[in-house]
Amino acid sequence: MSTAHSEPEHANAQLHAHPNYIQIWGILVALLVVSVCGPMLGIKAVTLITAFGIALVKAYLVAKNFMHLNIERSYIVFLLVTAVGLMVLMFGGVAGDVMDHQGRNWRNLAAQEEVNRALAGVAGESGAEQKGSTPGPAQPVAGAEENFKIVCSPCHGEKGDGKGAAAVALTPKPANFTDPEFWQTRDKAHIEKVITLGGAAVGKSPLMAPFGSRFSAAEISALADYLMRLKQ
Amino acid sequence: MQKPIATLRSATGIPTGRLAIWWVIASEIVIFGGLLASYIMHRIGHPEWGGYAAHTNTVAGAFNTLVLLSSSLSAVLAHQAAEGGDGPKAARLLRLTVLGGAIFLCVKGLEWTHEIREGFTLTANGFWTFYYTAAGLHGLHVLAGMIILLFVAADAQRNRELQRVELIGIYWHFVDIVWIFLFPLLYIAK
Amino acid sequence: MAEPASALAHEKPHAAAHAAHDEGFVKKYLLSTDHKIIAMQYLFTGMLMALIGGYFAYGFRMQLAFPGAHVPGYGVVSPAQYLMLVTNHGTIMIFWVAMPVLIAAFGNYLIPLMIGCDDMVFPRLNRLSYQLFLLSALILIASFFVPNGAFSGAWTAYPPLSANAAYNLTPWGASLWLIAVALEFVAFLLGGINFVTTVMNSRAPGMTAMRIPMVVWMIVIASILFMASVGPLVAGAVLLLFDQLLHTHIYDPAHGGDPLLWQHLFWFFGHPEVYVVLLPAMGIVAEVITVFSRKKLFAYKTILYTAIATGVISFFVWAHHQFVAGIDPRMANIFTVTTLIISVPIAEMIFVYLATLVGGSIRFTTPMLWGLGFIFAFLIGGVTGIFLGSSGSDIYFHDTYFVVAHFHYTFFPIAFIGSFAGITYWFPKMFGRMMNETLGKIHFWGTIIPVNLIFLPLFMAGLAGDHRRIYSYMNFPDSARPMLQNLRITATVALIVLLAFQLVFLYNFITSLFRGRKADVNPWRANTLEWTAASPPPHGNFVEMPAVYRGPYEYSAPGRDDDFWPQNIPA
Repeated sequence: MSTAHSEPEHANAQLHAHPNYIQIWGILVALLVVSVCGPMLGIKAVTLITAFGIALVKAYLVAKNFMHLNIERSYIVFLLVTAVGLMVLMFGGVAGDVMDHQGRNWRNLAAQEEVNRALAGVAGESGAEQKGSTPGPAQPVAGAEENFKIVCSPCHGEKGDGKGAAAVALTPKPANFTDPEFWQTRDKAHIEKVITLGGAAVGKSPLMAPFGSRFSAAEISALADYLMRLKQ
Repeated sequence: MQKPIATLRSATGIPTGRLAIWWVIASEIVIFGGLLASYIMHRIGHPEWGGYAAHTNTVAGAFNTLVLLSSSLSAVLAHQAAEGGDGPKAARLLRLTVLGGAIFLCVKGLEWTHEIREGFTLTANGFWTFYYTAAGLHGLHVLAGMIILLFVAADAQRNRELQRVELIGIYWHFVDIVWIFLFPLLYIAK
Repeated sequence: MAEPASALAHEKPHAAAHAAHDEGFVKKYLLSTDHKIIAMQYLFTGMLMALIGGYFAYGFRMQLAFPGAHVPGYGVVSPAQYLMLVTNHGTIMIFWVAMPVLIAAFGNYLIPLMIGCDDMVFPRLNRLSYQLFLLSALILIASFFVPNGAFSGAWTAYPPLSANAAYNLTPWGASLWLIAVALEFVAFLLGGINFVTTVMNSRAPGMTAMRIPMVVWMIVIASILFMASVGPLVAGAVLLLFDQLLHTHIYDPAHGGDPLLWQHLFWFFGHPEVYVVLLPAMGIVAEVITVFSRKKLFAYKTILYTAIATGVISFFVWAHHQFVAGIDPRMANIFTVTTLIISVPIAEMIFVYLATLVGGSIRFTTPMLWGLGFIFAFLIGGVTGIFLGSSGSDIYFHDTYFVVAHFHYTFFPIAFIGSFAGITYWFPKMFGRMMNETLGKIHFWGTIIPVNLIFLPLFMAGLAGDHRRIYSYMNFPDSARPMLQNLRITATVALIVLLAFQLVFLYNFITSLFRGRKADVNPWRANTLEWTAASPPPHGNFVEMPAVYRGPYEYSAPGRDDDFWPQNIPA
């Protein structure tokens, strides 16, 4: 103990009788053994009681005897119990949306399909390693025409003439791919660069956003080809 | 650095350090609680995760539980020694606790290596994401605890700041309790 | 109770020992563990970030008023940039302005001084908290300069937009933003532990719980609220980061994940968070209105218990942010009821403040004007929350400018009016000089009038159906009407006026730092302990540690010559 300020520290030191910690450790180990063996019986209720019930008992023993919560001020216990209580509250408020995959007026189709798909996969196996769910497509691998329609046409127009619905608000106006003059100074490589890095990368307006993270290189190449076919 | 007067006062009667540790524990309960509550929700909603969980190594998990329980024992015995004023004994017991933590992390490392080789990576599916995140967050806390334990042990060796033995012990017991719940959640419920 | 002063007998202040130090600039100002210096660090960082946040608001409001036009001092605002400005304006103002100024700066500065001790209980942890906070600010600023720009997925960062770079187009920005926010949370968790432990344990002898100044209580309750609510979001943020960087699928519906989980985790924290910033602001106002009406706080215990009740109830209202997100309607019912209930304790606190003012001997100093302005503006904000808390009307109002105006009528008083009240009130103590009263009043009127002219039109725009986070209304025939566009232009012009008047404050602040009239120890003739220390206080705060003999609000006590009665004077 540091000497200069030992007086107040001594006044606060909680000198208390120590229980037999090794004995408590022994009980904990015994409980651990039970909690491992219980689930081996394969009965769900037994598993729950032994695995989780015993976990609660073990946690209680550690908290009470090792952390000395049995002699700590009661408001400390209250604080910790409140923290746990908040997590129960959170669970209660959230589980209805996340744990359940359907409610009164809604269904979480994606999650239900995921569950069915995975269970069917497990059922169809016989001892083979089950790695995980069949990976769904991260992004739809769509054709260039579909990509253009979904992502580009709001500004560039359905026909690629630069007269999309959003074009009203933009200055300068979006590029008009139907105009032959537009193509006189641009080649495919240039178009691919603009799509990937945005207009600012080629000295044009930053209103054209960079879509390099939205499309793969193959999709961008296909898009560029598609745009060139719009020329009239 | 000389301690401020503020550190030495105790209007509540609880020493400042111990009071602070309890607040740390409370905020950690909410962090781990949030993660585990999210996991439990997903786990109950996805019965197929039981199948994925079958690939965890229950023996390793049980062994690790035993290791952590034992390291908690050495931590609380260190506290008993420190209260008796025996700094060097407390330091020895704290270092034993660190050893327990090291064994825990090594076993975990071996476990994870095997699982990753089998293809059960963080991105394999939701279960494995939670598995690595929860156990990983816990492992980071084990590692941090080990580092602090070593510092406290170094001081205790020279009979200095012995009150900190109890404080790091409380933290370590909390880390143990988190694992007590992680073990059935990740390993047993299949 | 034992004579408080005798309890001080064994304490030896370090002030004399430290005065002998000749610390270099780096050690004294950059690496200091002194709570006052750390408070200044938080204050100045917060003020700087406020300039950035305000600049961003200028950028997007100019775009809304004059769509597509070149914005002076910015350039053309593209749709991508618009979303980036809106996202980072909100994020910066909440996490890097309101929290550091109200909680970290005022908390750090005031707590040891007001409870009569020499520093926080963990000075080095305090320094670490600031360093982590500064790092988080730098990471956020770095996100403005990365390829594809800063995060643009709204400050609420809902996945899948925030999780998938294919959707948000800002792969670097999204992750840096998330890391910055998570780091800021850690910094405040550490700071909170310091605050709560210090106030619980290190009070001066004689300072019982009911003699603690209200602002200190409020900061403590706010810290506890923060620590209890941020945990799940920290966990959720780690999972979101994994979704972004490692392509896990926790929030991805296509792989069985659930975006709604993020929303719940976010708002479980997000709602208590607004009270985390509200309570310190109300605490500052409590100090200011008592000193400048020379009157006791009307009902100390009522305010205290009400503040605690507000904190507790705040954990039960979070899903009112999600009424139209597809949550179970039965949950919506429950959250409507709880949300309407929480308006009661807050209204009660406002009434208690008004009761404090009634019959007082009001001094219209600059801090008092700010305190009164807070009550007025926050009242409007609070009342409009009722429409949003009722799920039925929220179906219409959600995501409209009605929401934006509501939360600015609450947040602006909290983050700015409350901060200005605190800064103008405690400036003499912090810097040993007085601010200029005339400039202070000009700044006050130049702020309070424009702020109403910004957000009242936005209420009307929201009622008319203007949606949030829209780059340009010209594409929507119902919204492109001249009447609505006039409202938007009015709001933007008012913002520019508001920003211009902040220059008055900056001028006042900076010149007063160097040339303000030297301040006395207690220029406002207040009771609380910080006014017994020198202006500014030395390292160690008090030459002799004070003891406390009464509560902090004994103003105009009968039978006394002076209309104030400092806490540390023996009976």
